[in-house]
Amino acid sequence: MNLHLLLVTACMVLATFLTRAAMLLVGRSKPSPRVEAALRFAPVCALAALIAPAIVVRSGTVDLSLGNPYLVAAVAATAFFLWKRSMVGCIVVGMLVVTAFRFGAHG
Amino acid sequence: MSTAWRAELLRGARAAAPAAPGIVAWGLVTGVAMVKSGLAVEWAIVITVLVYAGSAQLASLPLIAAGQPFWMVGLAAFVTNLRFVIYSASLRRWFEAYSRWRRAVLGYFTGDFTFAMFMERVTREGEFAHRDAWFLGACGLNWLVWQVSSIVGIVAATAVPSEWGLQFAGTLALLALAIPACLQWPTLAGAAVAAPVAVLARNLPLGLGLIVGMVAGIVAAILVDTLVARRQAEQPDERGRAA
Repeated sequence: MNLHLLLVTACMVLATFLTRAAMLLVGRSKPSPRVEAALRFAPVCALAALIAPAIVVRSGTVDLSLGNPYLVAAVAATAFFLWKRSMVGCIVVGMLVVTAFRFGAHG
Repeated sequence: MSTAWRAELLRGARAAAPAAPGIVAWGLVTGVAMVKSGLAVEWAIVITVLVYAGSAQLASLPLIAAGQPFWMVGLAAFVTNLRFVIYSASLRRWFEAYSRWRRAVLGYFTGDFTFAMFMERVTREGEFAHRDAWFLGACGLNWLVWQVSSIVGIVAATAVPSEWGLQFAGTLALLALAIPACLQWPTLAGAAVAAPVAVLARNLPLGLGLIVGMVAGIVAAILVDTLVARRQAEQPDERGRAA
């Protein structure tokens, strides 16, 4: 038995449960209009903050050039999604661009 | 469990199905990354089954590999997961009617995709009946797909080449979720501010850059929302839509 990993796992389970369930179990029932507005806008802001670094940061530095496969893939995937409104299509187009870059780099 | 409850459970699972390819990719890559960073296969499986938080699991790997204290890994997981505090605060008014146990279960299984899809439906339809079943159906499918694919990733770690860039499929799935939410001026402004701020703040410790970007975006969105509301008061036919 690995005590360190057991404690790590316990702490991570606690982190999962506290962040996801605590607000459903305790707290006021009616948020103020300001908090309500913040809650309405939070999801898309969190998504943008999660996605952007994954697209433009390459090995620690910001790469906004057309040589960044992930940036080109994200632009193509966004255009495809706005055209067809398909999540699977968006993923397929993005991965095709990344794969094309990979073979281009090797070829 | 009434027939109507089960029907909503299935509708929820069907609604979550389009996100499955992205979850599969994200799960596979998380599983592979856990083992490749040095975790034993059995511990990787225990962590993925119980912790059930892809971004937190990925964030914890370098800390575990560096032998950081357990509370530091827990804190990193907590901060990486802070967005769920906001999600669950948004969910509260829709789940208030349910028992404490049911709310705890609904909360534990919340995911990024299922939250966004649920909010989209309640925004359209309000307090629809058996929304707990719909939510559990969506989260249940999400959970199952995540567990199977991350365990496959863990077991097959040596066979999946990391050059496939499978983690990026998860990012693309999140992108497809964000775009339709950005089609209004306040949310577009929020995303346009949150993205560069998160990029600039990416080197803050414990994944705090995500929180900083998110908060900056929310402030921008509220400012634009106030401006749009003011303009609407002057021109009643303007609806504040960007597209």
